[in-house]
Amino acid sequence: MIVLDKVDKIFPGTTVPAVKQVSFQVDEGNICVFVGPSGCGKTTILRIINRLIEPTSGDIYIKGKKVSDKEVNPDHLRREIGYVIQQIGLLPHRTVEQNVALVPRLLKWPEERIKPRVKELLDMVGLDSNEVIHKYPFQLSGGMMQRVGVARALAADPPIMLMDEPFGAVDPIVRGRLQDEFLRLQKEMKKTICFVTHDINEAIKMGDHIVIMNKGELVQHGTPMEILTEPANDFVKDLIGVDREIKLLDLTRSSEIVDRNKEVLGETREKDCFISALDPVQRALETMMKNDSDIVVVRDGEKEIGTICWGDIKKLINKLSGEA
Amino acid sequence: MGFLSSILHWLSNFYDEYLGFINFIIRRWEQVLEYTANHFSLVLTVMFFSLILWISVGLLISRYEKLANTAFGIGNILFVIPSISLFGIFITIPMLGLGRTSAALALILYAMMPMVRNVYRGIKSVEWPIIEAGRGMGMSPRQILFQIQIPMAWPIIFAGIRVTVVMITGIATVATFIGERNLGRFIHHGIARESADMIIAGAVLVSVIAILLDYILGKIEDKITSPGLRKEQEQS
Ligand SMILES: Nc1ncnc2c1ncn2[C@@H]1O[C@H](COP(=O)(O)OP(=O)(O)O)[C@@H](O)[C@H]1O
Ligand SMILES: [Mg+2]
Repeated sequence: MIVLDKVDKIFPGTTVPAVKQVSFQVDEGNICVFVGPSGCGKTTILRIINRLIEPTSGDIYIKGKKVSDKEVNPDHLRREIGYVIQQIGLLPHRTVEQNVALVPRLLKWPEERIKPRVKELLDMVGLDSNEVIHKYPFQLSGGMMQRVGVARALAADPPIMLMDEPFGAVDPIVRGRLQDEFLRLQKEMKKTICFVTHDINEAIKMGDHIVIMNKGELVQHGTPMEILTEPANDFVKDLIGVDREIKLLDLTRSSEIVDRNKEVLGETREKDCFISALDPVQRALETMMKNDSDIVVVRDGEKEIGTICWGDIKKLINKLSGEA
Repeated sequence: MGFLSSILHWLSNFYDEYLGFINFIIRRWEQVLEYTANHFSLVLTVMFFSLILWISVGLLISRYEKLANTAFGIGNILFVIPSISLFGIFITIPMLGLGRTSAALALILYAMMPMVRNVYRGIKSVEWPIIEAGRGMGMSPRQILFQIQIPMAWPIIFAGIRVTVVMITGIATVATFIGERNLGRFIHHGIARESADMIIAGAVLVSVIAILLDYILGKIEDKITSPGLRKEQEQS
């Protein structure tokens, strides 16, 4: 869907490239997360994709079409690509409604189509549309602004979204909620997304595919599981941090290690700790700790399908560390 | 009772000394009307052309940065020329001579510095992420100028316009020396005849015009400026 081929970017007046020989591909309907320390070139890559800046060399293809061609009008290209900028960048002199309707109005949608669309979007990103629609950005909290920023990028239903640290300006609890909500949305929207973060945990949580960058270069790319189990070098290991096994628990579904032994299930029936089969194993561990229990019941919908005990989790950790 | 009469005495003295200009205005009302109307129309003419010219120049130099310093230089030089000599220079130009055209041209040149500078400052005050967001959404440079930069610059542009209007109303009095029959004439003649009433009448009427125009511009500014930009006032 999106392909970058040997892209270089050297900013005028600098000698060190901000982006160096970067090539990758983002598949349709996937979230590709770019992660790396501040200044490693993540924002630069997004701005190259929607041609806010021109690469020094290399090509960019979207749906097989070379968009780095001079004939492609960059303004028109950008209207087809949702962009959530790092600094949010809501227009302070415009209401929430006018901010969200920006791209549809540029695309000359009829007003009777824009009105309901704005309401729909605000509700979709978890805002009370009646409450916020006529407010100005300065009247919103940081979390609300970020939601409006996401709604604005989604407004014209672009197939591609570029999201630059979209949940960066809020506290960790709100961030977690925004991430969950966005993943739920994405299940329905199936957009092709380039997502930038400097937080490896966010990358693992949000990414179908992760691209790790350092000093303008692509260090490693792969699925979260591949990155965690086969870090390419010390840089990646350091980035992942010491709690690699715990992170792996987050990537394994409970259904994969559930013990379907009905006898054990009978014994634990009284207890109040349940998780869903789709929850990560991490959730099983958290539920255990919260309830001071060493066993949880796993449900698939209403049906109880089995249990996970502390021993099962320990076995998984041993197996995963063995793999690494 | 001596106390009361001394107060009355003091009041009537005060009136003669300082408020005698009211009598003057009442006595010479036809002339006052004529001079005020002339003053007003000169200021309005100057502001009309200044707005068109200097806002355009301000926008131009915010786009072509290289011209900015040149424009500021010219504006500053014009601004520091004493007004009486600037008027004087214009009347020596053939075709212009004594009269309204020379007066208006000189005043328009005075308006350059405060107006061009504020338009430029206003446009430049829009922070980078907001422009970047506009570009990122697919707005053309023109749309960014008219839908983001100018609307966001209004408070600073208006500050420039309001300072200019007050300033021009004041300096317009000097145009009386090159044939304008405006309120400056009262001040000029008042000085020549050592008549405080005339001087004060001229000065007060000039101030009233300035305050009135500033007030009207303030109202227009409130209408035009987005409430989203008025947060400081609202919160305090
Ligand atoms: N417009 C620019 N001019 C010069 N250097 C720039 C410009 N934009 C970014 N850079 C440099 O390029 C590098 C990468 O920046 P950026 O992509 O913003 O990093 P990240 O988003 O990963 O924090 C940095 O060293 C930054 O200073
Ligand atoms: Mg960045």
